[in-house]
Amino acid sequence: MSFLKQWRFWLSLLLIGFCFYFIQPNFNSKNSDFKLNFGLDIQGGYSYLLELNENEFKQNLLIKTVQALESSYGLQSDISNNQIFISSDQNIDLLNNLTIQSLGFEIIERNDSGVLIGLLEQNFNQSLSEMTLNAVEIVRSRVDFLGNKELSLQKVGLNKILLEIPGNLDSNVKDVISKTAKLTLHLEKQTLVNSKVFFNEETGEEVRVQEIPNLTGDYIQDAALQYNQNEPVVSFSFNKEGSDLFAKMTSENVGSRFAIVLDGALITAPVIREAITGGSGQISGNFTNESANNLAIILKSGSLPTEIKIIQEKQVGPSLGREGVKKGIYASLIALIAITLFMIAYYKVSGLFTALTIISCLGLLFALMSLLNTTLTLPGVIGIVLTIGMCVDANVLVFERIRENYKNNLENPKADGFGSAYVTILDSNLTTLFAAIFLFAFGFGPIRGFSISLIIGIISSLIVTYIILKFFIDITSGKYLGLNK
Amino acid sequence: MMNFYSYKKKSYLASLILIALTIVIVFVKGLNLGIDFKGGLNFEVRTNLSNEQIFETFQEINTNREIIVKKEIGSDVHTIRIETGNDNASFIEEINQLIEDHPEMNVLISEYIEPTFSDELIKNSLYAMVSSLLVIAFYIWIRFDWQFAASGIFALLHDVFITVGFMSLFNIEFNLTMIAALLLIAGYSINDTIVLFDRLRSLTSDENNKDSFSNNVNNSIQLNLRRTILTSFTTILALICLVLLAPVNLTEMPIVFIFGVLIGTYSSLFLALSIVGDLNYEAVLKARDS
Repeated sequence: MSFLKQWRFWLSLLLIGFCFYFIQPNFNSKNSDFKLNFGLDIQGGYSYLLELNENEFKQNLLIKTVQALESSYGLQSDISNNQIFISSDQNIDLLNNLTIQSLGFEIIERNDSGVLIGLLEQNFNQSLSEMTLNAVEIVRSRVDFLGNKELSLQKVGLNKILLEIPGNLDSNVKDVISKTAKLTLHLEKQTLVNSKVFFNEETGEEVRVQEIPNLTGDYIQDAALQYNQNEPVVSFSFNKEGSDLFAKMTSENVGSRFAIVLDGALITAPVIREAITGGSGQISGNFTNESANNLAIILKSGSLPTEIKIIQEKQVGPSLGREGVKKGIYASLIALIAITLFMIAYYKVSGLFTALTIISCLGLLFALMSLLNTTLTLPGVIGIVLTIGMCVDANVLVFERIRENYKNNLENPKADGFGSAYVTILDSNLTTLFAAIFLFAFGFGPIRGFSISLIIGIISSLIVTYIILKFFIDITSGKYLGLNK
Repeated sequence: MMNFYSYKKKSYLASLILIALTIVIVFVKGLNLGIDFKGGLNFEVRTNLSNEQIFETFQEINTNREIIVKKEIGSDVHTIRIETGNDNASFIEEINQLIEDHPEMNVLISEYIEPTFSDELIKNSLYAMVSSLLVIAFYIWIRFDWQFAASGIFALLHDVFITVGFMSLFNIEFNLTMIAALLLIAGYSINDTIVLFDRLRSLTSDENNKDSFSNNVNNSIQLNLRRTILTSFTTILALICLVLLAPVNLTEMPIVFIFGVLIGTYSSLFLALSIVGDLNYEAVLKARDS
């Protein structure tokens, strides 16, 4: 048994074992870390791409800085065109490069009239990115509370969040993710100065209140759907700090009204009958069970740092997904069989080796994809098709080189032929591999799905060609290969 | 035997004509941009209604937005594309309501893309493609020579560009998935070209080989001809299976591939090596030999 002495034989066995080990969890109902995921376009489901408002975040940051300048340095400043100007009729000697940088700003201009500072881009991008991560958690808890188990959430770019949920559409999801949920309480105010009118579109109720809120939803600890005389209401409770503030606010203003405002719209404006010390309250309005439950979830999860906008939404019906997968698999299998039959008809025994090489290439591809927890999408399937094409091409290149060497009566037709063909294969495959890596790094969505399976596919093809195909060629004599013409 | 190098002038002319035709077609017909690049709403519905009936149904909503209804070849699936405008949020609600009111249309896929986001997608795809082109050029330059890099990139762009013309001619929708398809053609094209480059390099670096450059080019192609034809044939064989059997929303793509494979085979056989020669590579070789 001379093939037992070949290292390629043992490595091939190892490779096959590797494939089985990492593919098998996919057919096992047990949970495993190594599983291939299917994209929404294959298994059905819905996805939202959310964008946080960069400009709103910038404005908030500028306002915070103006406040910090006043509290730390006693300086008055103005915002214009996303920059802050501090006039020189104050003591601005304290403002040097270092102090400005510690605020995340840089000095743009300094002259007799004052100092103009602007946001450091790198700092801004970092805090934008941190805010988005924070928002990801808020969105996660909101969707979690609705009972969606298999959701996938990820930060995309600096200020985007991709939410994907397999299965059927839950219309509440859109409702709870797109609300900022800024809850504010404002005391009634009669005078026009620093006051604002809020009104409720449904009831027509309107009230003039203090512009700056007396209390915000940030202090809310818990919220739940409850029933008051069979009407759904939302009850909420403040944490310790919030309870104290609420108690103070109500005890000092018995008899006057206060407004409960959600995202700039008046929910209700009750009259304070007595001091509320328990730190809890109730919001009643024209709620349905669903809308009250959604509001409770939103309040519980906390408010989003900025307004959120759905910039892409996609739903794929599960039936289409399943149908697509079935047809796609049939089509690929038949294509595979057609190629194999052709190769066997043309190359005889060598064609059989091609078939085995392609099968092990696909095996390694799926094993690596499962190992890396890759998500397979339809463009990913296209990438796999290209991989098979390149694997067949590698086989053809090797066979043709060996055949040529036999024809020219070279000394070592098989080894030299494989060697020179493999150089060509490396050159062409590595070019594509590098291109695919860059596509993966810079691309989005379908382009990434395509490039990831191409990257893994090329690597698999290079490995199986070098180990398994070469092993078959080594152990078979030229006359059976049908290449010595 | 066929002498490929002797067809140099004719193939240059043929390619110039194809490129000119593509420019004219794209200029006259434009690209059928999908919502990935234009923003808007897209639905795939399964229904027995005709295109006109579906169009009528959507007229119930009083809007001056452009609505395009198209039947997918060989199935009862229709694609409906609606342009975006102002106040998209409430418009989407209206459309969803309308579809709910018409159960005879079974929605398979619905998708919405904000126009600002589609601008970003265009930019993003361009970055990704340009950067990967640069990587390809750099790798070929390092492994071969700059003449090969320039010619390889030209052949690749040639193939992709003419395929875009093909898509424009047959009104095939241009979306992110199609970009993936064009990348596949690019990958196939460069793969095919490099195999020939490799052969040319090994022939010209052989000191005992006293053949002329044009003979070397021709031999490179001749020696690889069986491989080129076999590979193109097996690829097209696989693609035909996909055209006949793939899910409805994927039939156009393999057709585009088949065209791309054909044009890619043509460009590697008739263009790539000739361009290397015309970029003065012959002189480089002569200088080295003397």
